[in-house]
Amino acid sequence: MIYHISQLTKIYGTRTVLDIPSLKIESGWIYALLGANGAGKTTLLNILGFLEIPTNGNIFFHSKKVQFSESSLHPLRKTVIIVDQHPILFTTTVYKNLEFGLKIRKIPKKERELIIKESLELVGMRHLAAAPAHRLSGGETQRVAIARALAVNPKVLLCDEPTSSVDAENQVAIIKILKQINALKKITILFTTHDRLQVSSLAHHTLVLKDGRLAV
Amino acid sequence: MDFFIDSLYSAFLLVVSLDPEMVNIVQVSLKVSTTSTVIASLMGVPIGFFVAFESFPGKRIVITCLNTLLALPTVVIGLFVYGFISRRGLLGPLDLLYTQKAMVIGQTILILPIVATFTIAAISRIDERYRKTAMTLGANRWQTAVAVFREARFGIIAAVIAAFGRVISEVGISMMLGGNARGFTRTMTTAMALEYDKGQFTLAVALGIILLGLSFGINLLFHFFQGRTRI
Repeated sequence: MIYHISQLTKIYGTRTVLDIPSLKIESGWIYALLGANGAGKTTLLNILGFLEIPTNGNIFFHSKKVQFSESSLHPLRKTVIIVDQHPILFTTTVYKNLEFGLKIRKIPKKERELIIKESLELVGMRHLAAAPAHRLSGGETQRVAIARALAVNPKVLLCDEPTSSVDAENQVAIIKILKQINALKKITILFTTHDRLQVSSLAHHTLVLKDGRLAV
Repeated sequence: MDFFIDSLYSAFLLVVSLDPEMVNIVQVSLKVSTTSTVIASLMGVPIGFFVAFESFPGKRIVITCLNTLLALPTVVIGLFVYGFISRRGLLGPLDLLYTQKAMVIGQTILILPIVATFTIAAISRIDERYRKTAMTLGANRWQTAVAVFREARFGIIAAVIAAFGRVISEVGISMMLGGNARGFTRTMTTAMALEYDKGQFTLAVALGIILLGLSFGINLLFHFFQGRTRI
């Protein structure tokens, strides 16, 4: 088990946006997180990605209790990557975007080159390595963002509506990529979506959020 | 009208002939303005970045104070610095009055708020997703700050250029703290004021042409970098 959440709540002001008594996420599986707008999907993703701190409750990651201090969360963020619904790429080349996380992890240059090549190939974007990242289309941006996440070899990939802002062709490609990386690299994937068809074609498990609560 | 055209023609010849006195004045102007811009940038950019990037109590008050300082008149800065560096002032023994160093001090005070507030604006315009992306890719606080800074680079360069544009054309501080000493502290603006007083327009117009040319170049650069912020 990669995540175990207990008695988790997230409150903004007086509004409880998340209230999850218990949630277990198994390693190496693909989870779909369904829910209407405002159900708390993105907040849950941010908490699972260690970018937001819950108001109450515990998270166990790899059976270790997560301490919500910056010094404890920073190393965890190196193993869990969030890919936004509208990912933003740094205003440089695609190559340098992928290099960002690798440089942070102090990966040697030669190794970086290999990883970047392999990651871009996996998402079918190798030909765009030298292209200015901020000039890519929505679909290309989404795929490069996935490649950027893959490059750092995460244990968990959290995708916020990965296909909602791309055309049909890219939707098919992204679903195929996610399936492939799960099968090849055994990366645990949790993605949010409104598309039930996508859920059935991609996810091993489905979670449904309604008004911040899990409906099983 | 003839007088104006004659002055303009003579000024143009002076510019083309690279008159030594004129060249010296331009050199002093550029040296003092560049030095003060570099110093103000070294202080103002980190101040602006910190204010924009971090959350701390009193942030709004700091921004309001910096915005207020944008309207500080040059003569007020001149008087203020004069109070410190004149013979009876706190820094009197350093003999700074009527030197280029004094002008640099005054000009730095003038443009520090410009650099800081423009940097705040540049950082604030940066999409919050850059910070989130850097963090989720494993960046620590410092690495995240560097990533955000990098995204705001064109806006920050525009801030520095705007500050240089302000300082190259100011006259109050240069006159009050520099003293307009020929060959030492005479800048384009103080020389123009002097030549006007003397009723000799040729050098004043020549310097005006150079100053306008510089301002045009600075504005071109400013708009180029401002444009790059909206890529």
